[in-house]
Amino acid sequence: MGTVVTIDIYRGDFDDHSLLESSIEAAIAILHDADQHFSTWKSESPLSRIRRGDLDVDDAPAIIGEVLQQCVVARTFSEGWFDPWAMPGGVDPTGLVKGWAAQRALEALRHDTIDGAIINAAGDIASFGGPTANRRFRVGIASPANPRSLACIVESPGAVATSGSYERGQHLFDPRQGLFSTRVASGTVVGPELGMADALATALVIGGAEVLDILERMDNFEGLIIDDDGTLLGTTGFPIIQ
Amino acid sequence: MKRAPLVMMGTVAGLAGVLSFNSTPAKLSLESLASSSSSTSSAPSTTTTASSSPPPTTATTTPATGPTPTTTPTTAPTTTTTPPPVTTTTVSSGVRTAVGPSVDYNFGILSVQVKVSGTKITNVSIAAINDGGNFRSVSIDQQAIPLLEQEVMQAQSGNIQSISGASYTSAGFIQSLQSALSKLGL
Repeated sequence: MGTVVTIDIYRGDFDDHSLLESSIEAAIAILHDADQHFSTWKSESPLSRIRRGDLDVDDAPAIIGEVLQQCVVARTFSEGWFDPWAMPGGVDPTGLVKGWAAQRALEALRHDTIDGAIINAAGDIASFGGPTANRRFRVGIASPANPRSLACIVESPGAVATSGSYERGQHLFDPRQGLFSTRVASGTVVGPELGMADALATALVIGGAEVLDILERMDNFEGLIIDDDGTLLGTTGFPIIQ
Repeated sequence: MKRAPLVMMGTVAGLAGVLSFNSTPAKLSLESLASSSSSTSSAPSTTTTASSSPPPTTATTTPATGPTPTTTPTTAPTTTTTPPPVTTTTVSSGVRTAVGPSVDYNFGILSVQVKVSGTKITNVSIAAINDGGNFRSVSIDQQAIPLLEQEVMQAQSGNIQSISGASYTSAGFIQSLQSALSKLGL
Protein backbone atom coordinates (compact mmCIF):
# COMPACT_ATOMS: atom_id res chain seq x y z
CA MET A 1 0.00 0.00 0.00
CA GLY A 2 3.01 2.27 -0.17
CA THR A 3 2.83 3.05 3.51
CA VAL A 4 5.98 4.15 5.29
CA VAL A 5 6.07 2.98 8.91
CA THR A 6 8.42 3.93 11.72
CA ILE A 7 8.71 2.08 15.00
CA ASP A 8 10.32 3.70 18.02
CA ILE A 9 10.88 2.01 21.33
CA TYR A 10 11.76 4.00 24.41
CA ARG A 11 13.22 1.19 26.39
CA GLY A 12 14.14 2.83 29.67
CA ASP A 13 16.15 0.25 31.57
CA PHE A 14 14.94 -2.71 29.55
CA ASP A 15 18.05 -4.20 28.01
CA ASP A 16 17.04 -7.51 26.50
CA HIS A 17 18.04 -6.49 23.00
CA SER A 18 17.15 -9.74 21.33
CA LEU A 19 13.67 -9.62 22.80
CA LEU A 20 13.23 -6.07 21.52
CA GLU A 21 14.45 -7.11 18.09
CA SER A 22 12.04 -10.01 17.92
CA SER A 23 9.20 -7.78 19.12
CA ILE A 24 9.89 -5.37 16.30
CA GLU A 25 9.97 -8.23 13.84
CA ALA A 26 6.64 -9.45 15.19
CA ALA A 27 5.18 -5.97 14.79
CA ILE A 28 6.48 -5.77 11.23
CA ALA A 29 5.02 -9.20 10.46
CA ILE A 30 1.60 -7.99 11.63
CA LEU A 31 1.84 -5.00 9.29
CA HIS A 32 2.89 -7.15 6.34
CA ASP A 33 0.09 -9.56 7.12
CA ALA A 34 -2.42 -6.72 7.01
CA ASP A 35 -0.99 -5.63 3.67
CA GLN A 36 -1.31 -9.15 2.29
CA HIS A 37 -4.97 -9.30 3.27
CA PHE A 38 -6.15 -5.77 2.58
CA SER A 39 -4.02 -4.19 -0.09
CA THR A 40 -6.14 -2.98 -2.96
CA TRP A 41 -2.92 -2.79 -4.96
CA LYS A 42 -2.47 -6.56 -4.73
CA SER A 43 -4.93 -8.12 -7.15
CA GLU A 44 -4.99 -11.43 -5.29
CA SER A 45 -5.42 -10.08 -1.78
CA PRO A 46 -8.64 -11.35 -0.22
CA LEU A 47 -9.99 -7.82 -0.16
CA SER A 48 -9.30 -7.28 -3.86
CA ARG A 49 -11.04 -10.53 -4.65
CA ILE A 50 -14.02 -9.53 -2.52
CA ARG A 51 -14.19 -6.15 -4.26
CA ARG A 52 -14.46 -7.72 -7.68
CA GLY A 53 -16.90 -10.37 -6.52
CA ASP A 54 -14.54 -13.35 -6.72
CA LEU A 55 -14.75 -14.06 -3.01
CA ASP A 56 -17.48 -13.89 -0.42
CA VAL A 57 -16.68 -12.25 2.91
CA ASP A 58 -17.97 -15.36 4.69
CA ASP A 59 -15.42 -17.51 2.84
CA ALA A 60 -12.56 -15.07 3.37
CA PRO A 61 -10.05 -15.21 6.24
CA ALA A 62 -11.67 -14.22 9.53
CA ILE A 63 -9.54 -11.12 9.80
CA ILE A 64 -11.39 -9.58 6.88
CA GLY A 65 -14.72 -9.94 8.62
CA GLU A 66 -13.22 -8.55 11.80
CA VAL A 67 -12.11 -5.37 10.05
CA LEU A 68 -15.40 -4.97 8.20
CA GLN A 69 -17.20 -5.29 11.51
CA GLN A 70 -15.06 -2.45 12.87
CA CYS A 71 -16.05 -0.48 9.78
CA VAL A 72 -19.72 -1.00 10.59
CA VAL A 73 -19.12 0.43 14.04
CA ALA A 74 -17.15 3.34 12.59
CA ARG A 75 -19.87 4.03 10.06
CA THR A 76 -22.39 4.19 12.88
CA PHE A 77 -20.27 6.44 15.07
CA SER A 78 -19.48 8.76 12.18
CA GLU A 79 -23.16 8.89 11.20
CA GLY A 80 -22.31 7.60 7.77
CA TRP A 81 -19.54 10.05 6.94
CA PHE A 82 -17.14 7.12 6.98
CA ASP A 83 -18.72 4.53 4.74
CA PRO A 84 -16.51 1.91 3.07
CA TRP A 85 -19.55 0.49 1.29
CA ALA A 86 -20.35 3.76 -0.45
CA MET A 87 -17.08 3.78 -2.37
CA PRO A 88 -17.03 2.99 -6.05
CA GLY A 89 -15.24 -0.23 -6.94
CA GLY A 90 -16.45 -2.25 -3.96
CA VAL A 91 -16.08 -2.13 -0.21
CA ASP A 92 -12.92 -0.26 0.75
CA PRO A 93 -11.88 -0.21 4.40
CA THR A 94 -8.60 1.59 3.64
CA GLY A 95 -9.58 4.56 5.82
CA LEU A 96 -9.58 2.28 8.87
CA VAL A 97 -7.20 -0.59 8.05
CA LYS A 98 -3.96 1.35 8.31
CA GLY A 99 -4.73 2.49 11.84
CA TRP A 100 -6.15 -0.85 12.82
CA ALA A 101 -3.02 -2.65 11.63
CA ALA A 102 -0.67 -0.24 13.40
CA GLN A 103 -2.63 -0.62 16.62
CA ARG A 104 -2.35 -4.41 16.42
CA ALA A 105 1.35 -4.20 15.64
CA LEU A 106 1.87 -1.97 18.67
CA GLU A 107 0.63 -4.76 20.92
CA ALA A 108 3.65 -6.84 19.90
CA LEU A 109 5.86 -4.21 21.49
CA ARG A 110 4.35 -4.27 24.95
CA HIS A 111 6.81 -5.26 27.64
CA ASP A 112 6.40 -4.53 31.29
CA THR A 113 9.37 -2.34 31.90
CA ILE A 114 9.80 -0.30 28.74
CA ASP A 115 8.86 3.33 29.01
CA GLY A 116 6.94 3.54 25.78
CA ALA A 117 6.64 2.75 22.10
CA ILE A 118 5.32 4.52 19.02
CA ILE A 119 4.31 3.16 15.66
CA ASN A 120 3.83 5.85 13.04
CA ALA A 121 2.15 4.48 9.91
CA ALA A 122 2.29 7.27 7.36
CA GLY A 123 1.16 9.86 9.86
CA ASP A 124 -1.27 7.69 11.83
CA ILE A 125 0.27 7.05 15.21
CA ALA A 126 -0.37 4.40 17.85
CA SER A 127 1.50 4.59 21.12
CA PHE A 128 1.61 3.53 24.73
CA GLY A 129 3.58 4.98 27.59
CA GLY A 130 5.88 7.88 26.91
CA PRO A 131 9.47 8.93 26.26
CA THR A 132 10.19 8.39 29.94
CA ALA A 133 8.23 6.64 32.65
CA ASN A 134 6.44 9.77 33.86
CA ARG A 135 5.67 11.49 30.55
CA ARG A 136 3.23 11.07 27.68
CA PHE A 137 4.16 11.27 24.04
CA ARG A 138 3.82 14.63 22.34
CA VAL A 139 2.84 14.60 18.68
CA GLY A 140 3.20 17.45 16.22
CA ILE A 141 0.40 17.93 13.69
CA ALA A 142 1.83 18.91 10.32
CA SER A 143 0.43 22.02 8.70
CA PRO A 144 -1.42 20.92 5.56
CA ALA A 145 -0.31 24.05 3.71
CA ASN A 146 3.34 23.66 4.57
CA PRO A 147 4.40 20.18 5.58
CA ARG A 148 7.64 21.48 7.05
CA SER A 149 5.66 23.41 9.64
CA LEU A 150 3.58 22.33 12.56
CA ALA A 151 0.03 23.49 13.03
CA CYS A 152 -0.02 22.46 16.67
CA ILE A 153 1.25 19.92 19.17
CA VAL A 154 -0.90 17.46 21.07
CA GLU A 155 -0.44 15.10 23.95
CA SER A 156 -1.28 11.65 22.67
CA PRO A 157 -3.92 9.59 24.51
CA GLY A 158 -2.70 6.58 22.54
CA ALA A 159 -3.91 7.15 19.01
CA VAL A 160 -3.45 10.14 16.71
CA ALA A 161 -4.73 9.96 13.14
CA THR A 162 -4.61 12.69 10.51
CA SER A 163 -6.23 12.72 7.10
CA GLY A 164 -5.52 15.40 4.58
CA SER A 165 -7.08 16.63 1.38
CA TYR A 166 -3.92 15.56 -0.41
CA GLU A 167 -5.33 12.04 -0.06
CA ARG A 168 -8.41 13.03 -2.02
CA GLY A 169 -9.08 10.60 -4.84
CA GLN A 170 -7.58 7.76 -2.86
CA HIS A 171 -10.21 6.94 -0.29
CA LEU A 172 -11.74 10.25 0.76
CA PHE A 173 -15.15 9.62 -0.70
CA ASP A 174 -18.09 11.77 0.36
CA PRO A 175 -21.11 9.47 0.62
CA ARG A 176 -23.49 12.43 0.73
CA GLN A 177 -22.35 13.79 -2.59
CA GLY A 178 -21.25 10.51 -4.11
CA LEU A 179 -17.84 11.77 -5.11
CA PHE A 180 -14.30 12.20 -3.82
CA SER A 181 -14.36 15.44 -1.92
CA THR A 182 -13.03 17.07 1.22
CA ARG A 183 -14.30 20.11 3.07
CA VAL A 184 -11.15 20.98 4.95
CA ALA A 185 -7.43 20.69 4.32
CA SER A 186 -6.72 18.38 7.23
CA GLY A 187 -8.54 16.52 9.99
CA THR A 188 -6.97 14.99 13.08
CA VAL A 189 -8.64 12.66 15.56
CA VAL A 190 -7.15 11.47 18.85
CA GLY A 191 -8.47 8.72 21.09
CA PRO A 192 -7.73 5.36 22.65
CA GLU A 193 -7.59 3.23 19.49
CA LEU A 194 -6.09 3.96 16.11
CA GLY A 195 -8.42 2.03 13.79
CA MET A 196 -11.41 4.08 14.92
CA ALA A 197 -9.34 7.27 15.06
CA ASP A 198 -8.24 6.62 11.49
CA ALA A 199 -11.82 6.11 10.29
CA LEU A 200 -13.03 9.19 12.15
CA ALA A 201 -10.19 11.31 10.75
CA THR A 202 -11.22 10.18 7.29
CA ALA A 203 -14.80 11.19 8.05
CA LEU A 204 -13.59 14.47 9.54
CA VAL A 205 -11.66 15.67 6.51
CA ILE A 206 -14.58 14.73 4.27
CA GLY A 207 -17.32 16.30 6.38
CA GLY A 208 -15.47 19.12 8.13
CA ALA A 209 -17.33 21.05 10.82
CA GLU A 210 -20.35 18.80 10.65
CA VAL A 211 -18.24 15.81 11.68
CA LEU A 212 -16.44 17.92 14.28
CA ASP A 213 -19.86 18.36 15.90
CA ILE A 214 -20.29 14.60 15.99
CA LEU A 215 -16.89 14.25 17.66
CA GLU A 216 -17.82 16.92 20.18
CA ARG A 217 -20.63 14.66 21.31
CA MET A 218 -18.33 11.62 21.62
CA ASP A 219 -16.67 11.08 24.97
CA ASN A 220 -13.41 9.43 24.12
CA PHE A 221 -12.44 10.81 20.72
CA GLU A 222 -11.50 14.41 20.02
CA GLY A 223 -10.97 16.17 16.73
CA LEU A 224 -9.32 19.08 14.99
CA ILE A 225 -9.86 20.50 11.54
CA ILE A 226 -7.56 22.82 9.64
CA ASP A 227 -9.11 24.72 6.77
CA ASP A 228 -7.44 26.03 3.64
CA ASP A 229 -6.59 29.31 5.37
CA GLY A 230 -4.79 27.46 8.12
CA THR A 231 -7.44 28.15 10.75
CA LEU A 232 -7.61 25.51 13.46
CA LEU A 233 -10.90 24.44 14.99
CA GLY A 234 -11.09 21.69 17.59
CA THR A 235 -13.47 19.90 19.89
CA THR A 236 -13.57 21.13 23.47
CA GLY A 237 -11.40 18.35 24.81
CA PHE A 238 -8.85 18.24 22.02
CA PRO A 239 -5.55 17.80 23.87
CA ILE A 240 -3.65 20.63 22.31
CA ILE A 241 -0.49 21.58 24.12
CA GLN A 242 0.60 24.46 21.91
CA MET B 1 1.31 5.02 -5.21
CA LYS B 2 1.43 1.79 -7.11
CA ARG B 3 2.47 -1.66 -6.09
CA ALA B 4 4.65 -0.39 -3.29
CA PRO B 5 4.98 -2.87 -0.46
CA LEU B 6 5.00 -1.69 3.09
CA VAL B 7 8.34 -0.10 3.82
CA MET B 8 9.56 -0.80 7.30
CA MET B 9 11.88 1.13 9.45
CA GLY B 10 12.65 -0.59 12.68
CA THR B 11 14.57 1.18 15.41
CA VAL B 12 15.69 0.05 18.79
CA ALA B 13 16.61 2.11 21.79
CA GLY B 14 18.81 5.04 21.13
CA LEU B 15 18.14 5.43 17.45
CA ALA B 16 15.56 7.99 16.53
CA GLY B 17 13.55 6.66 13.65
CA VAL B 18 11.50 9.78 13.19
CA LEU B 19 12.02 11.72 10.03
CA SER B 20 14.15 14.75 10.41
CA PHE B 21 14.13 17.60 7.99
CA ASN B 22 17.39 18.86 6.63
CA SER B 23 16.18 21.19 3.98
CA THR B 24 17.45 24.24 2.20
CA PRO B 25 16.25 26.73 3.31
CA ALA B 26 16.04 25.35 6.81
CA LYS B 27 12.88 27.16 7.78
CA LEU B 28 11.70 24.75 10.33
CA SER B 29 12.65 21.37 11.63
CA LEU B 30 12.25 19.28 14.68
CA GLU B 31 14.68 17.90 17.09
CA SER B 32 14.15 14.20 17.47
CA LEU B 33 15.51 13.12 20.79
CA ALA B 34 16.84 9.66 21.41
CA SER B 35 15.43 7.59 24.24
CA SER B 36 16.40 8.33 27.78
CA SER B 37 19.02 5.62 27.93
CA SER B 38 20.83 6.67 24.82
CA SER B 39 24.06 8.54 24.96
CA THR B 40 23.60 10.21 21.60
CA SER B 41 21.76 13.45 21.16
CA SER B 42 21.70 16.02 18.45
CA ALA B 43 23.12 19.42 19.14
CA PRO B 44 20.97 22.02 17.45
CA SER B 45 22.59 24.73 15.42
CA THR B 46 20.67 27.76 14.26
CA THR B 47 20.12 29.26 10.89
CA THR B 48 17.98 32.27 10.20
CA THR B 49 15.41 32.74 7.52
CA ALA B 50 15.09 36.31 6.39
CA SER B 51 11.54 37.51 6.42
CA SER B 52 10.16 40.62 8.06
CA SER B 53 10.93 39.41 11.55
CA PRO B 54 13.26 36.45 11.52
CA PRO B 55 13.07 34.34 14.63
CA PRO B 56 15.81 31.78 14.92
CA THR B 57 15.28 28.42 13.36
CA THR B 58 16.77 25.28 14.64
CA ALA B 59 18.27 22.91 12.17
CA THR B 60 18.62 19.34 13.19
CA THR B 61 21.71 17.36 12.74
CA THR B 62 20.97 13.74 13.31
CA PRO B 63 23.61 11.63 15.04
CA ALA B 64 25.86 11.35 12.07
CA THR B 65 27.33 8.09 11.04
CA GLY B 66 27.51 9.17 7.46
CA PRO B 67 27.49 12.33 5.41
CA THR B 68 24.75 14.78 6.33
CA PRO B 69 23.48 17.50 4.09
CA THR B 70 24.39 21.03 5.12
CA THR B 71 21.79 23.71 5.53
CA THR B 72 22.47 27.25 4.43
CA PRO B 73 20.57 30.41 5.25
CA THR B 74 18.85 32.15 2.41
CA THR B 75 17.36 35.58 2.01
CA ALA B 76 14.57 34.54 -0.28
CA PRO B 77 11.66 32.31 0.58
CA THR B 78 12.17 30.46 -2.67
CA THR B 79 15.18 28.35 -3.24
CA THR B 80 16.07 26.21 -6.11
CA THR B 81 18.18 23.28 -5.17
CA THR B 82 19.87 20.98 -7.55
CA PRO B 83 18.77 17.55 -6.49
CA PRO B 84 21.70 15.27 -5.94
CA PRO B 85 21.97 12.29 -8.25
CA VAL B 86 21.14 8.90 -6.82
CA THR B 87 24.33 7.82 -5.18
CA THR B 88 25.35 5.35 -2.57
CA THR B 89 28.22 5.83 -0.18
CA THR B 90 29.69 3.58 2.44
CA VAL B 91 31.47 4.81 5.52
CA SER B 92 33.66 2.80 7.78
CA SER B 93 30.96 2.26 10.41
CA GLY B 94 29.05 0.15 7.89
CA VAL B 95 26.27 2.67 7.37
CA ARG B 96 25.38 3.10 3.73
CA THR B 97 23.58 6.13 2.39
CA ALA B 98 21.53 6.61 -0.72
CA VAL B 99 19.62 9.55 -2.06
CA GLY B 100 16.53 8.96 -4.09
CA PRO B 101 15.63 10.87 -7.23
CA SER B 102 13.76 14.13 -6.91
CA VAL B 103 10.03 13.73 -7.17
CA ASP B 104 6.95 15.86 -7.04
CA TYR B 105 5.49 15.90 -3.55
CA ASN B 106 2.45 18.12 -4.24
CA PHE B 107 4.10 21.27 -2.96
CA GLY B 108 7.18 21.05 -5.13
CA ILE B 109 10.09 18.74 -5.60
CA LEU B 110 11.96 16.80 -2.99
CA SER B 111 14.43 14.00 -2.77
CA VAL B 112 14.93 11.71 0.15
CA GLN B 113 18.10 10.49 1.76
CA VAL B 114 18.14 7.20 3.59
CA LYS B 115 20.83 5.65 5.75
CA VAL B 116 20.98 1.94 6.26
CA SER B 117 23.04 -0.23 8.57
CA GLY B 118 22.83 -3.80 7.37
CA THR B 119 19.17 -4.11 6.48
CA LYS B 120 18.01 -1.63 9.06
CA ILE B 121 17.17 1.91 8.12
CA THR B 122 18.70 4.21 10.66
CA ASN B 123 17.77 7.56 9.24
CA VAL B 124 15.56 9.11 6.64
CA SER B 125 15.76 12.75 5.78
CA ILE B 126 14.91 15.23 3.07
CA ALA B 127 18.02 15.62 0.93
CA ALA B 128 16.79 18.49 -1.15
CA ILE B 129 13.55 20.39 -1.37
CA ASN B 130 12.15 23.04 -3.64
CA ASP B 131 8.68 24.29 -2.88
CA GLY B 132 8.50 26.30 -6.09
CA GLY B 133 8.02 29.61 -4.36
CA ASN B 134 4.42 29.77 -5.49
CA PHE B 135 2.37 32.63 -4.09
CA ARG B 136 0.37 30.61 -1.63
CA SER B 137 3.42 28.90 -0.23
CA VAL B 138 5.27 32.20 0.12
CA SER B 139 2.42 34.00 1.85
CA ILE B 140 1.90 31.17 4.27
CA ASP B 141 5.61 31.07 4.92
CA GLN B 142 5.71 34.73 5.79
CA GLN B 143 2.73 34.67 8.10
CA ALA B 144 2.72 31.24 9.56
CA ILE B 145 6.35 30.41 9.86
CA PRO B 146 7.41 33.02 12.43
CA LEU B 147 4.58 32.05 14.76
CA LEU B 148 5.06 28.36 14.21
CA GLU B 149 8.78 28.63 14.61
CA GLN B 150 8.24 30.24 17.96
CA GLU B 151 5.89 27.48 18.97
CA VAL B 152 8.24 24.84 17.76
CA MET B 153 11.15 26.42 19.56
CA GLN B 154 9.15 25.96 22.72
CA ALA B 155 8.12 22.55 21.61
CA GLN B 156 11.67 21.49 20.99
CA SER B 157 12.45 22.06 24.59
CA GLY B 158 9.21 20.18 25.23
CA ASN B 159 10.33 17.25 23.20
CA ILE B 160 8.09 16.10 20.36
CA GLN B 161 8.43 12.46 19.55
CA SER B 162 6.41 12.12 16.36
CA ILE B 163 4.52 13.96 13.65
CA SER B 164 1.08 13.26 12.27
CA GLY B 165 0.07 14.49 8.83
CA ALA B 166 1.08 15.59 5.40
CA SER B 167 4.67 14.89 4.54
CA TYR B 168 4.61 11.34 5.79
CA THR B 169 2.03 10.25 3.32
CA SER B 170 3.29 12.04 0.28
CA ALA B 171 3.46 9.69 -2.63
CA GLY B 172 6.42 11.63 -3.91
CA PHE B 173 8.29 11.14 -0.70
CA ILE B 174 7.59 7.43 -0.74
CA GLN B 175 8.67 7.14 -4.38
CA SER B 176 11.99 8.79 -3.72
CA LEU B 177 12.51 6.74 -0.58
CA GLN B 178 11.70 3.51 -2.39
CA SER B 179 14.22 4.32 -5.10
CA ALA B 180 16.87 5.09 -2.56
CA LEU B 181 16.14 1.80 -0.84
CA SER B 182 16.38 -0.18 -4.06
CA LYS B 183 19.73 1.39 -4.72
CA LEU B 184 20.82 -0.09 -1.42
CA GLY B 185 19.50 -3.48 -2.45
CA LEU B 186 16.55 -3.48 -0.04
